[in-house]
Amino acid sequence: MKKMLAESELARDDRFVRTKIEDRIFDPRGARIAQRDTGPAKMGVDRPAAGERSRSLMHGIFVGEIQALEGAGRTCYDFDDDAAPFQLKLDMARQCWDESRHCEISVKLGDHMGTEIGEYTESTFLFAAACNPDPVLRLCGVNRALEGLAIDVFKSMKDFGNEADDPVLEFCEDWMLADEVTHVKMGSDWLRRLTETDPDRRERALEFQRTVDAIFNLGGFRGEDDENPIQLARDFRRLAGFTEDENDSLAELARQSTEQARQMAEAATAALDASAQGS
Amino acid sequence: MSSISVTPDPFTLVPYDVAEIRSLVEDAAALVEVSPGVDIALIVDEELFAPLTGHMSDVVDGRIVLWISGANFEDNRRPLHFSAEQARLDLAVMMLRAKDRLSEDFADAPPDAQLSRGERTAWDTYAAGRARRLGLPVRQPRQLYDFRLQHGFTDVADAAFTRCWETDHLTWAAVREICKETGAVDRGKSKVPVDLLRQKK
Repeated sequence: MKKMLAESELARDDRFVRTKIEDRIFDPRGARIAQRDTGPAKMGVDRPAAGERSRSLMHGIFVGEIQALEGAGRTCYDFDDDAAPFQLKLDMARQCWDESRHCEISVKLGDHMGTEIGEYTESTFLFAAACNPDPVLRLCGVNRALEGLAIDVFKSMKDFGNEADDPVLEFCEDWMLADEVTHVKMGSDWLRRLTETDPDRRERALEFQRTVDAIFNLGGFRGEDDENPIQLARDFRRLAGFTEDENDSLAELARQSTEQARQMAEAATAALDASAQGS
Repeated sequence: MSSISVTPDPFTLVPYDVAEIRSLVEDAAALVEVSPGVDIALIVDEELFAPLTGHMSDVVDGRIVLWISGANFEDNRRPLHFSAEQARLDLAVMMLRAKDRLSEDFADAPPDAQLSRGERTAWDTYAAGRARRLGLPVRQPRQLYDFRLQHGFTDVADAAFTRCWETDHLTWAAVREICKETGAVDRGKSKVPVDLLRQKK
């Protein structure tokens, strides 16, 4: 079996349609929308299109779980025991079990919310974090950045379920959230163990994590304000072993991403206006 | 013969075809049996993309005035592409509600921008159930989830949903009664206006 599988080689049936992150970034409507008040992006039952927003996010979570399963699974297989100890692979195998269960729960939640598999597009940028050839860097990308994002996403969805008095959504998200905390802890433990005598490698791994985190913050997707759909879950991140400094640094990174997105939107709007005046 | 207008004409941000949309509006009006002679104006906000969906149906001086987010016409699987199937469905639901407004049963209903979310969802459910019986592929679980978000995840709300979904005759007074029954009427007023997506700077 092939080792080091590229994003483009992920197996999907014909229900799934893949999209690139650039498709949304270069969508000509983006600049216009950025200038409008479409309400708080944070999930809420009184937000415009609350049902559609939650369905779309739920589908995103579902495909994210598939990719997390694929990422953990690849780590079990891609490295020999010298590069990645057998105990680490056992942890990843356990994570695969969790992610498989999350996939099934997400499908059931999709049914509950009235959506279908493949109704929305899939972006595979989460799996991209699981393609690093160094197991320590990959572990940081998957178990600390990606699974850290999962903590934020599940907490946001759990809060939405709580606000809507939807016990099914709230409990399901809560259970999955508990697993994600464990996954991050596993990542942090292995990072420490594998880089105990190699501080340079540890720094490279943490730098890779920061890069992946920056991608996950893209366009203000995650943050601590109402304009961020996904809220940074500081308490659960603390439980998962992230330090307060790490949380502060991620929050700052998120603020920078939101600001960058705003500046890009303003620049794009100015370009559109200039082009309209010229035509 | 009624006149049908579609705005914008042409679309500049999305490759939607005005003639195709006009034809779908005509089909929807015929399907739900809007009286001939009633003029119809459809405004599509082409700046809005998925998942920023929403639509409104009002009657102004005897004329049907429809507003819809461009996201409602967008193919979820192919961003920027028009989905005729999705448009057909949403236009039928909008047209059914507009037809309700032309009847005595909904004569007292305020404009869509003044409806509460509970009232709106109950009315939408009534329209979606009828659209399904007209042969359109409406998904009941989707409508149920939207209804529950505004009326609660309770047996009382589910029973109210079934009544809205299955009936072929509901009045504005009945919609208000349903909101009292489920407690939707007691929900605090939101700071987010229901027509926020329709408001442009």
